[in-house]
Amino acid sequence: MIEEQRTVARLSQDPAVWVDEHGDYLFGYAMFRLRDASAAEDAVQETLLAALQSYHSFEGRGSQRTWLVGILKHKLTDHFRRMGRETPLSQLEGESFEHGEFFRPAGEWKGHWEADRAPLEWGATPEELLRQSDFFRVLDDCLSPLPARVSGAFILREVDGLASEEICQMFGVTTNNLWVMLHRARLHLRHCVELNWFKPRAV
Amino acid sequence: MTLNPYKKATHALRWFLLHRLPTCKQMVEVMSQSMERPLTLRERVLLKLHLWVCAWCVWYLEQLRLLRASLRARAAEVAGEVSPGVSLSAEARDRIKSSLNRPSS
Repeated sequence: MIEEQRTVARLSQDPAVWVDEHGDYLFGYAMFRLRDASAAEDAVQETLLAALQSYHSFEGRGSQRTWLVGILKHKLTDHFRRMGRETPLSQLEGESFEHGEFFRPAGEWKGHWEADRAPLEWGATPEELLRQSDFFRVLDDCLSPLPARVSGAFILREVDGLASEEICQMFGVTTNNLWVMLHRARLHLRHCVELNWFKPRAV
Repeated sequence: MTLNPYKKATHALRWFLLHRLPTCKQMVEVMSQSMERPLTLRERVLLKLHLWVCAWCVWYLEQLRLLRASLRARAAEVAGEVSPGVSLSAEARDRIKSSLNRPSS
């Protein structure tokens, strides 16, 4: 135990070892939010470089990993800011999102659910789902087809619990834009998770 | 079919509401926004009435909340753990290491 602590203390002085110790964790964290391997690698590299420059301010409060994730979050924010500046929202996400496929286009029940797209009863609780890590793999896969900024906004909101205003600032979009993006993500995700997780089990 | 008068009236009322209320397509948007801001009184009343007559939308709202709750609980549980199957490539690892050895460049 004492031996181990000494090892950690010694390793933490050498930044190259940070890559082995925390690289995969930071990469996984960035990858989940950015869904782009090269952007996630860049974020890890920028994080470790920034950590190297400010290592004197770390002082060993809390774990090194928590400290690094704190820096990584700023790098992810920078990434989304850049994305917001470089690519106008309308090009990527379509400002007027048409979710026509889910609802009846005409007739007496125009605007109501298409029967084969309407929600089924899941009958699940968060506690049950938490025990099934495959469920979260399905969720992760379902996020991938969405435009990067839509899945990014959804994760920052629903996983990290950031406030709407914070995400709007980061992405350089209006509250209304953000709501449309989140709505789009939810509609797609709910349906995808139902098809790939709940439905096969109900049959 | 012999429905009692109360059931008959309820049935007729639901039918009427389904035709007159905002559609599911409009309500899913309101439900999504209910995750972001407090709804106005008008929205709350319309949503309540809609949910009274539409089981699909009841499940929809439940599922939006379930997804948020389970995602946040999961994030708290796996914080600090390496996600299985996601790792830096050997190439990226080397590149990052060498960039750390010459931080001035």
